[in-house]
Amino acid sequence: MDNDFHQRLLATFRVEAKEHLTALSTALIELENTPGAKHDELFELIFREAHSLKGAARAVNMTGIESLSHALEGVFAACRLQAGVPAPAVFDLLHRAIDEIDTQLLTMEPGDKSAKLRTKELVASLNEAVESAPASGAPPVPPVPEHGESPALEKFAGSGTVRIPTARLDSLLHQGQEMLTAKLALLQRAAELGAIGTALASWENEWKKVRPAVRRLRKVQQAPGAAFTDADAAQLGKLLTFSDWGHAAVKDLEYRVHALAKALAHDRYSLDGMVDTLLDDVKEVLMLPCATVLEVLPKMVRELARDRGKEAQLVIAGESVEIDKRILEEMKDPLIHLVRNCVDHGIERPVERQRLNKPERGTVSVAVSLRDANRVEILVADDGAGIDTVRVAQTVARQGMIAPDEAGRLDRERLLDLVFASGVSTAPLITDISGRGIGLAIVREKVERLGGTVTVTTEPERGTAFRMLLPLTLSTYRGMLVEVRGQTFIIPTASVERVARVPRAGIRTVENRETVEADGMPLSFVWLADVLQLSRREKGGDDAGTIPLFVIGSGVSRIAFGVDAILAEQEILVKGLGPQLSRVRNVAGATVLGNGRVATILHPGDLVKSAVRGAGVPSGVPHPEEHEDIPRKTVLIVEDSVTSRTLLKNILETAGYRTSTAMDGVDALTRLRTEQIDLVVSDVDMPRMNGFELTARIRGSREFAGLPLVLVTSLDSREDRERGVEVGANAYIVKSSFDQSNLLDVLKRLI
Amino acid sequence: MAKKVKNVTPPAGRKSPCREEKQILRARAQALARAPLPEAEGESLEVLEFLLAYERYGIEMTWIRETLPLKELTPVPCTPPFVLGLINVRGQIVSVMDIKRFFDLPEKGLTDLNKVIILQDGGMVFGVLADAVCGVRTIPRAELHPSLPTLTGIREEYLKGVTGERMVVLDGRKLLSDRRIVVHEETGD
Repeated sequence: MDNDFHQRLLATFRVEAKEHLTALSTALIELENTPGAKHDELFELIFREAHSLKGAARAVNMTGIESLSHALEGVFAACRLQAGVPAPAVFDLLHRAIDEIDTQLLTMEPGDKSAKLRTKELVASLNEAVESAPASGAPPVPPVPEHGESPALEKFAGSGTVRIPTARLDSLLHQGQEMLTAKLALLQRAAELGAIGTALASWENEWKKVRPAVRRLRKVQQAPGAAFTDADAAQLGKLLTFSDWGHAAVKDLEYRVHALAKALAHDRYSLDGMVDTLLDDVKEVLMLPCATVLEVLPKMVRELARDRGKEAQLVIAGESVEIDKRILEEMKDPLIHLVRNCVDHGIERPVERQRLNKPERGTVSVAVSLRDANRVEILVADDGAGIDTVRVAQTVARQGMIAPDEAGRLDRERLLDLVFASGVSTAPLITDISGRGIGLAIVREKVERLGGTVTVTTEPERGTAFRMLLPLTLSTYRGMLVEVRGQTFIIPTASVERVARVPRAGIRTVENRETVEADGMPLSFVWLADVLQLSRREKGGDDAGTIPLFVIGSGVSRIAFGVDAILAEQEILVKGLGPQLSRVRNVAGATVLGNGRVATILHPGDLVKSAVRGAGVPSGVPHPEEHEDIPRKTVLIVEDSVTSRTLLKNILETAGYRTSTAMDGVDALTRLRTEQIDLVVSDVDMPRMNGFELTARIRGSREFAGLPLVLVTSLDSREDRERGVEVGANAYIVKSSFDQSNLLDVLKRLI
Repeated sequence: MAKKVKNVTPPAGRKSPCREEKQILRARAQALARAPLPEAEGESLEVLEFLLAYERYGIEMTWIRETLPLKELTPVPCTPPFVLGLINVRGQIVSVMDIKRFFDLPEKGLTDLNKVIILQDGGMVFGVLADAVCGVRTIPRAELHPSLPTLTGIREEYLKGVTGERMVVLDGRKLLSDRRIVVHEETGD
């Protein structure tokens, strides 16, 4: 057989076999757990699944799997005939057979020697089980009519659905999401076009002011016997004609820009519609029934309970509810974790349960239900011992997470909330409160990252319930753009509880911590810049003396983060930070803004943790540069290299200067006209206008002739140095011997 | 090759020159067939030469995806100093580092760092900054000397060799596979 074709067949087989196996193991567990009633149906089901699996395995020549499923089929053929449930020992055998098939599926090899041996043994024991079954006498393996059709064909017959690998769907979604970037970019282009329109309109205004003068000049020029020579009159005529032509041309441009803006707005409108519809449709395609993640649970509960010497059954409800594939994938581990916890630490041993007058067999339930159009609730509950809140309090106090006397005062709800805490050190907490701590922090983190919430309720001896409320689809991620120290950061909107603006004087220090008041409640306050360890160069907040802030809260700890400005709220497309930055503290990802710039997305959970940890350090250390009464000098940095520019900016700001930056000489001249600058530090080698030219221009102008100017350059020849002095630079620093104290000394001497 | 040989075979009839020509052509064909072999075995390296802090460096072309001018750089808070920030490469976010700082070289002077060289291998991608990219050069492996006494410290670990013209050739594979370059820090730590 063509190898490539064979490989494709094998891949199809693997998918199909996996489905049969899941159905088999689910049915087996159900058979074991439900007395009487539905048995015939289940026998039939298991028999058919085993039979189909056998056929499929034969088609791809997987002899091990074929003989195992043949044996399974035999057991249930016998069950069907005798209408008797296999003995518990046989159930274990059956599960082992399924595990073996699973292993062989993974390796996809005909199996090494040991696998063959295991298969042989299992088949022998299964056959033996059939023989020794009560009222034996029926042939071990009754003849079964073989269908001629291939298993793959069966799948397609009669259904209006097709199979698509989920990876391909992911790529589709990914591409759909990339369209968001186009949408945002178009928004930016529209804004830029709008700015051009405004510029043209202001030209028009200026023109209106000079129009009377133009008219008057025209009259003078045309009047006979004017004060001009004929030649001058002709020149003036040309100029006036040009001015009229200019006006017409600008008018025309204005009209065209306006039309373009209108067309763009229209395009944007239809693109928005198309992208949104496309994304909605793709999201719908990605909705999968919960069963896809729940199906692993029954087997896990069975095995875990056996392993721990307990009896437990799993009751699943709502497995047909459809949830976004990405949410399901993210929820798989938390679900497994919670269910494990229920069996491991919730359900008591049979003896203990008997003593408490509970059924020996504990129940773990997983119920999925739609709460409203956009939210789904997943409830994981057990009827076990419940969480001992007193011990939680003791452990937490011993951990030093809260003061012992405080622990005593905490109400139940807050104490239970601490179960999710992973803060200072969870490890001892885990063992001490019967393991409920382990991984619960991760469960909460995952749920919250998806924009959901998780709560726990517990009652002694009655059980524990974890209630997770999740969005149904990963809605387009929205983020709030904030500005700190000139950088833009994004906070996931879903995590922001509120935004506010407080007067600077509203910050009060309570027990060595800064607090603000919001809704009559004191809230811990921190500067986002401090949490992110950005250089502190000046007091945060805006120019109006107020501090914009946002509140994010994880459970009981809510914290207000002060920023310099809250800019906007918009859709964002979350991207990773790349493989090199696998996990960065306080940063969850990055995105590309409409203007093409990259902005980092902050991690709300981390921010709270970092803020809590940082709060112990007294933040009230006075910063020398914070003396507001000394007016600070502003230095304009002119440099085309973004790294050098940033370096110079940092050096100067750390030294207490205000800074402004320009990318080249032309840019610098614009800045000089619009901003109050005390000194210029300029590179020499720059596009458009170099440092020498810039210096000459500044010295040649009336208002800036005396402005101190330092040239920083990579040119280290005597001629260059002389040229620098010649054009009028006050100092000349060579890059190769640059060091910051050198620059600061020079600056101190000049201003 | 066989086809070419056939095409230039002169018409039959001229016996001896035909055989001679055939021999010559066969010899040539063999020589041509052999020639690329030693190179493939790594007798020489194709490296991208760049300037960084007034020194010349080279990295094998195998590891280089592309080079770009650096226009915007978004710093990432809470990262080690050698991580300079993120850039947007046609919609893909790529982290950029300063190998000078990673090598713990003393900060000397003020340099442009205007160019990004993007290194890639398997799953790992990152950019390193350079002051200028000079071009691609082929250097015979024999010209690559082990180390210089001046190249000490962390940089020596990533050294492939130094050329006679003092170009420091870095080991791209080692840089790309080094775990020390990967930032992985949880708040819980």
